[in-house]
Amino acid sequence: MTSAVGYLSCLAAIDLSGLLAYNTLIVAAGTAAVGCAAGVVGSLSVLRKRALVGDAAAHVTLVGVATAFALTGRRDLPTLLAGGFAAALAGLLVLVVMRRYTRTRDDAATAIVLSVGFGGGIALVAGMTARGIPGSAGLENFLLGHTAALTARDAGVLAGVSLATVVVVMLFLKEATLVAFDRSFAAAAGWPVAVVDYLLVVLVAVMVVVGLPAAGAVLVTALVVIPPVAARQWTDRLGTMLVLAGVIGLVSAVTGVAISAVVPRLATGPVIVLVAAAIFAISVLFTRWRSPREAA
Amino acid sequence: MSLAPPLVEFHDVTVAYGRRPVLWNVDLTISEPCLFGVVGPNGAGKSTLLKAALGLVPLAGGMVRLFGQPLERVRRRVGYVPQRETVDWDFPVSVMDVVLMGTYSRVGWLRRPAAAERAVARESLARVGLEDLADRQIGRLSGGQQQRVFLARALAQQADVYFLDEPMAGVDARSQEQILAVLSGLRDAGKLVIVVHHDLRAVTDWFDAVALIDMRLVAAGPTRETLTPDNLRRTYAGAIDVLDEVGRAVQRRSRTP
Amino acid sequence: MTSADFLSEVGPMHGWAMATAAVVSAAAAMVGTLLVVRRMSLLGDAISHAVLPGIVVAVLAGGRPGGPLVIVGAVVAALVTVWLTQVLRDGVGVAEDAGAGVVFTTLFALGVVLVTAAASRIDLDPGCILYGILELVPFDTISVGRWNVPRAFLTGLAVLVLIGLGLLVTWRLQVFVAFDADAARAAGMPVAAATLSLLAATAMTAVAGFEAVGAILVVAMLVVPAAAAELLGRRLSRVMAMAVALGVVGSVLGYLAAWKWNTNAAGMIAVVLGVEYAMAVIFAPEEGLLARGIGQIWLRWRVACEDQLAAVWRREEAAGTGLAAAAAPHGFIDRLARAWLAMAGRLRRVDGEWTLDPRARPAAEMIVRSHRLWEAWLGRHAELPVDHLHPPAEWMEHHLGADVRRQIEADLGWQASDPHGSEIPPER
Repeated sequence: MTSAVGYLSCLAAIDLSGLLAYNTLIVAAGTAAVGCAAGVVGSLSVLRKRALVGDAAAHVTLVGVATAFALTGRRDLPTLLAGGFAAALAGLLVLVVMRRYTRTRDDAATAIVLSVGFGGGIALVAGMTARGIPGSAGLENFLLGHTAALTARDAGVLAGVSLATVVVVMLFLKEATLVAFDRSFAAAAGWPVAVVDYLLVVLVAVMVVVGLPAAGAVLVTALVVIPPVAARQWTDRLGTMLVLAGVIGLVSAVTGVAISAVVPRLATGPVIVLVAAAIFAISVLFTRWRSPREAA
Repeated sequence: MSLAPPLVEFHDVTVAYGRRPVLWNVDLTISEPCLFGVVGPNGAGKSTLLKAALGLVPLAGGMVRLFGQPLERVRRRVGYVPQRETVDWDFPVSVMDVVLMGTYSRVGWLRRPAAAERAVARESLARVGLEDLADRQIGRLSGGQQQRVFLARALAQQADVYFLDEPMAGVDARSQEQILAVLSGLRDAGKLVIVVHHDLRAVTDWFDAVALIDMRLVAAGPTRETLTPDNLRRTYAGAIDVLDEVGRAVQRRSRTP
Repeated sequence: MTSADFLSEVGPMHGWAMATAAVVSAAAAMVGTLLVVRRMSLLGDAISHAVLPGIVVAVLAGGRPGGPLVIVGAVVAALVTVWLTQVLRDGVGVAEDAGAGVVFTTLFALGVVLVTAAASRIDLDPGCILYGILELVPFDTISVGRWNVPRAFLTGLAVLVLIGLGLLVTWRLQVFVAFDADAARAAGMPVAAATLSLLAATAMTAVAGFEAVGAILVVAMLVVPAAAAELLGRRLSRVMAMAVALGVVGSVLGYLAAWKWNTNAAGMIAVVLGVEYAMAVIFAPEEGLLARGIGQIWLRWRVACEDQLAAVWRREEAAGTGLAAAAAPHGFIDRLARAWLAMAGRLRRVDGEWTLDPRARPAAEMIVRSHRLWEAWLGRHAELPVDHLHPPAEWMEHHLGADVRRQIEADLGWQASDPHGSEIPPER
């Protein structure tokens, strides 16, 4: 119901007063927390050279969201996202199995999981829509992101999960850094590198899932890739990079929500991505202009 | 009379990558603290031997004992310097951060290194002569300096056995001397230092004992007795053809009927 | 409903839609095979997203969907993607996957925003970008002679023919580059040209696939059949032919499934392609999970049988010299193997002792020969105590063929006995 209202208000002409509406502010705050946490978690996965593992997980979430809806008939966000998370984990598990038991290389395996999972999701959603199951059309909001449909409670859930994820990252920062920097040294010193790796991948999956409502399955991976890469331009310190990536993610998310709230029919995801990309471009140009990187 | 167990023992160790053995039936025991070189041609399995000792590659056969015990019980007493190319030097960490990683095992899960660990790290850096560069990002060091950072990290592990994988590769003469001085110091302090080395020159000056490896152990013992022309010929112009052929046969036969 | 009814009900409209999916899929499978074997799948993914702004700009500039201008726009966008990723890697120090992630999400986002902004002027829907409108393809036709042919089919066919011809002309180059790009470069082959043409072909496939199946499912057509085919063969030509077959079959089956269950065709095609891949993983003749499982069991069985034969051979030898021989292994499988060998007449019970049937003697002797040769070789070449020679030989005796045995024998200088002093039987 709320989403229908949100969708209608989206169709209305540009209305700046809507920007300051209570619900929009709450949603912006929730999305800001998501953007910030995604930047922090993404920094570690980019440094671990696993930038695109989130992309496979993100596309697969669609199957889970659709299945959760089909099974429960409910459209409240936590239920759908729980389904999405389960599917993301299943997709990542398939990747692990493919790496272990087939000759298919990682890049192809990622593309397979991503495209087949997404196709399955599309088929499920389209099948339900064709059968006129009420509410199933709204699932398309998860493709490109559509924050206007969120409630204050949804925003609270997203912010809570994001905060919890950042806390976990902070707790395991030492271990994650060690494994990302020098896997063989970590393994020789007795650290369970596979466990740390899986933990990191699961955290990325969590961020991708909570990022779905804002950025959509197709583009949410940008939330965990672009802010970290932009932050890296400004600093050689991991701590500073995490903070900066969080800030850049936050700014991108809030700006994206604001712009798409005032421009009719504009999905949130693409706007967030373009804002983040602009910050990245400025970061590259500015840091190059300030001090051209010496040749390594 | 109770004999102390040997420091490092390889018992009939075979390592295979994808069913194809690359290291065959190595039997090697090192009982005394010394500077021990593992020498052989490229692709002879020297690094693989080190990785087998550290549990980084699965064994297709045999076992490894350190201080007479399985590796898991004595990880804390083992220091490791991996090859320099295995890491991304663009990683946003400082020299100090990397050396502190050597203390993480003692720090344990969830806790941060405290003042005591920082002191150890600073002292390790001083031993390799890099205390002035502690805050520098690791990518902004020369190759030799990077190798010394890795050595300092191993020193911060405060181990009893050190494994070093090609620590002299791509390293300037000054760094080489410094590294060698540190390693000799470790030996004199009663530690066992095992070094993989690709180059025959200077081996006699550096190492107390060597193992000659070429997909199998050719010979091992005190450097002067082991580096005989005959052993070297068997190592460097050796039986690889047969091992290669047999390895392929194993791979072929064990895959399909 | 019989299959004939089913097909007649599917009708000619659906026939055109399936034919469109099939030609696009065939083109994608050819390109995808090269992408997969050259480890460039990621680039296929990136390009199929990134062509969107190129297409939109070309349409805004007056190009017809699927027309030449749009193809040019898409190829330009693809080249920009690759160029930007390289600039990020070499100039800014961003790892390749992260850089591709930055570039393709940004370009795709730009495309979506352009589509939304120009919604009144162009006939592109964000949904169609993602999952295509294969079902509507038959309604947008061009007259070719007496036929009304769907435009998307013609685009797909043109791209397929172009890519097919290009491959035919440059086949040896592509094989060489796919096999070893560095060697090809050293041999003075135009590797960069091969790569560029592959990128352009990917972009063209993306354009052809865009309307039919949408951006992301183009990735499925590019990568999934090729990856499945890669598990089924080794020769590039064979892999590519298989990929095309899998792609075409998957497209038709996927379309029919979507029609039957009343859902999106592009999505179902991706799912069917995924099922094909999973079947390849399980049933591939050489490296499928099933074949490997059977191979393991067969190997264990062969080892058990050979161990029994060799043990009896050794006992008979020992009886001649008056020495004691080790007992044969007698685990469950070993006893089963012995029972089978007895049943098959290879082993016989004589005076309470197992003896070899003359027919089984050569095989048994060659196992012992392998064993002793390997002990001798290890004893000569490896620093290994004599009592450590037996276990490796016990394992190796099952793996050495006649030519390897001869090579080892030559290497040993035809020495006659193993390190324990036992005679090495001659080759039969």
